[in-house]
Amino acid sequence: MKGRAAPALFLGIPTVFLVALFVLPLLSMLVLSVWRTENYHIIRDFNLHNYYVLATEGAYMTFLVRSLTMATAVSVICTLIAWPVAYGIMLYGGRYKLLFTLAFAVPFLTGEVLRIIALQGLLGPVGLLNGVLMALGAAPLRVIMYTNVASAIGLVYLYLPIVVTVIYLSLLNFDQRLIDAATIFGASPARAFFEVTWPLNLFGTLIGFALCFIPCLSATLAPRFLGGPNGTLYGMAMAQQFGESGTWALGAAMGVVLFAVSVLLVVIVAKTLDLRRTGFTGFGRG
Amino acid sequence: MAYITLDGVSKQYGSVWAVDRVNMAIDKQEFVSLLGPSGSGKTTLLRIIAGLETPTQGRVLIDGEDVTHLPPHRRGVAMVFQEFLLFPHRTVYENLAFPLRMLKLQKGEIEARVDWVLGILALRGLEKRYPNQLSGGQQQRVALGRGLVGRPKVLLLDEPLANLDRELRQEMEVEIRRHQTALGIPFIYVTHNQEEALSMSDRIAVVRGGRIEDFASRTDVYDRPKTAFIAQFVGRSNRFEGIVALAGEGIAVRGEGVLIETGPREGIADAAQVAAYVKNEKVRLRPAEPGAGAAANALPATVKHVILRGAYAEYVMSWAGGELVASRPRREAEFKEGAEVVGFWEKGDVDLFPAPGEMP
Repeated sequence: MKGRAAPALFLGIPTVFLVALFVLPLLSMLVLSVWRTENYHIIRDFNLHNYYVLATEGAYMTFLVRSLTMATAVSVICTLIAWPVAYGIMLYGGRYKLLFTLAFAVPFLTGEVLRIIALQGLLGPVGLLNGVLMALGAAPLRVIMYTNVASAIGLVYLYLPIVVTVIYLSLLNFDQRLIDAATIFGASPARAFFEVTWPLNLFGTLIGFALCFIPCLSATLAPRFLGGPNGTLYGMAMAQQFGESGTWALGAAMGVVLFAVSVLLVVIVAKTLDLRRTGFTGFGRG
Repeated sequence: MAYITLDGVSKQYGSVWAVDRVNMAIDKQEFVSLLGPSGSGKTTLLRIIAGLETPTQGRVLIDGEDVTHLPPHRRGVAMVFQEFLLFPHRTVYENLAFPLRMLKLQKGEIEARVDWVLGILALRGLEKRYPNQLSGGQQQRVALGRGLVGRPKVLLLDEPLANLDRELRQEMEVEIRRHQTALGIPFIYVTHNQEEALSMSDRIAVVRGGRIEDFASRTDVYDRPKTAFIAQFVGRSNRFEGIVALAGEGIAVRGEGVLIETGPREGIADAAQVAAYVKNEKVRLRPAEPGAGAAANALPATVKHVILRGAYAEYVMSWAGGELVASRPRREAEFKEGAEVVGFWEKGDVDLFPAPGEMP
C-alpha cells in the first residue's frame, strides 16, 4: 500500500490545490463572462455581449496591444540586463555568490505598492531625478513623467530581480566545463557562448522571460501610478471593471481573453522550441 | 626536434607550485602517460598543454610553434575528458561534427569524416541519439571520436576510462592504443591507474608533487624504478628496511629478521639506512624445511590468505617483520592457508634506495 500512497499523496495534493484554486475560479470567470451586470447586479442570461464589446470597442484592443508591447519590451530589457548580471555573479561572485543571490530577494521584503510609489517619487515632475535636473538649471525629462516609459521603468524595476534569480539558477546548473570542451574543439569564446552557453540556458531564460512577461501583461499598479493619461494597460482596465465600473461580467470576459492570449503564447513557444535542444534531460532514456 | 616540448613549465596557485619546472620532449608518434597520485599536478600539466591554464613560467611548444600564450581554440589540440563533457543538447552526429564545423570544413567533408569516426568506433546507428540516451561506454566512444575526428596535432586524455567498469576499460585500452598507432599523432594520457599507463604507453612520466620523478620507457619505469616513490607506486612491492652491512662486490642489507643481498649499486654508502623493494611477482615460494638456517633473500613465513586472480594466485603471508605478498602463476605448486613456506627472490630483483625515512 505504501508504494501507492506516496505517489497519490505527492501528486494528489498539488492536483487538489490546482483544481480548487485555479481551475474552479477560472471556470467561474468563464461562466460570469457570458452573463451580464446591470446596476451592480449580476443577471444570469447567456449572451456573448461582453465579447462583442471587447471586439468592437477600439479601446480594449488598444489596451491589449499596448500591454503586449509593454510586456514584450519589459521582458526583453529585463533579460538583457539579467544575463550579464547573473553571469557576472557566477563568474566573479566567489564566496559571496549566496549573498548576491539573497540580495535579489531584498526588494520583495517591501510591498509592490510601496516600491511603485517610491519610484513615482523618483521619476515624477517634482521627483528626485527631475528635481536635480531643474536645480542644475536643465529642463526636466518629460519622457519619464507619467508616460509609458515611466511604466516600463517601473515594471523593469519590479521584475528584474525575478529574472536575474531564474537565469542565475539556470547558469548555476550549467556545467561550465562544457565551455572548456567547446574551446578545445576550436570555438572562440564568443562562438562557445552561442554554441553551448546560450542554448543550454535557453530554457531557464525563457522561464525568467515568462515570469516577467505574464505579470506585466496584467500589470495594474505600475501603469496606474506611473503611466499617466495614455498609459492605461489591459490589466489596469480589467481591474477597473471589477472596481469603479462594477461591470464584473465584462471584466471576466477580459480575463478570459487575457488567459487565452497567454495560453496561445505558451503554445507557440512550446511548438517552436525543441526541449532536447536546450539540454533538457527530463525525458529519461529512450 | 621533439614534436611537443615543455620547457621549464611551472604553475603556481597561491603559494603552491602545482607544476614545478617540468621539462619534457615528446615525439610525434608517441603514446605518453602522465602517471601520478591525485593532486600530483598531472591534470594541471595536461590543461597547460591544452591552453586551459597558462603557465606561471616556462614555454610550451607544439610542432615547433611556441603556443604558450595561444588560447585553446588556436592550438589544434583535442581532449577527451574524464566526465566526457559531450554537448547534451546535440546528437551524437552533431557532437562528432562540432570540431569539423569549427574548422569550417565543407559539408561533404564533414559527413565523410564523421562517417569514418562512426565506423572506427562502432557507433553507427547511434547518430541521432542524444548523449543521455547512451550507455557510459558509448558516451566514452563518442568523446574519443570527437577527439579524433578533427585530426588534432595532439590528443590529450584526462583519465578517460576512470568512469568505466574494469572489463570495458581493458577493451578501451586496446582500442585507444590502436587508434593512436593508426593516426600517428601523439597521445598524452593522464591517469592514476598504473595498469592503464603500463598497458598503453611508450613512455611513462611519473608525476609527484608537481615534478616529473622519472620519464622513461614503460619497462624501465616498471623494472628499474629510479626512485623509492616509483618503486612504491608502480607495481606492487614488498618493502624492507635495513642497514647496509657490507658494501663491496655486492651489497648486503641487514634488517629486522631479514637479510637481503643484491649486486653492486651506485650511491649506496656503507652503514646507510636503506629501503629495499621486491615486487610481488618476483617473490617465489617453496615449502619450509625444518632445521634449515637463515639464508639471504629468503624469508620463512606463514600463508594467511590465498587470493585467486584468474591465472595468478596472490599469497598474503606473515613473517616476523610484518606482511609478505607473493603473486604466483596458478600452474606452480599451490600452498594452502596456514602452510609454512619460505619466500625467496633473486639478487637482481631487489631495488634499493637510500634514506627510507623520507617515504610517507
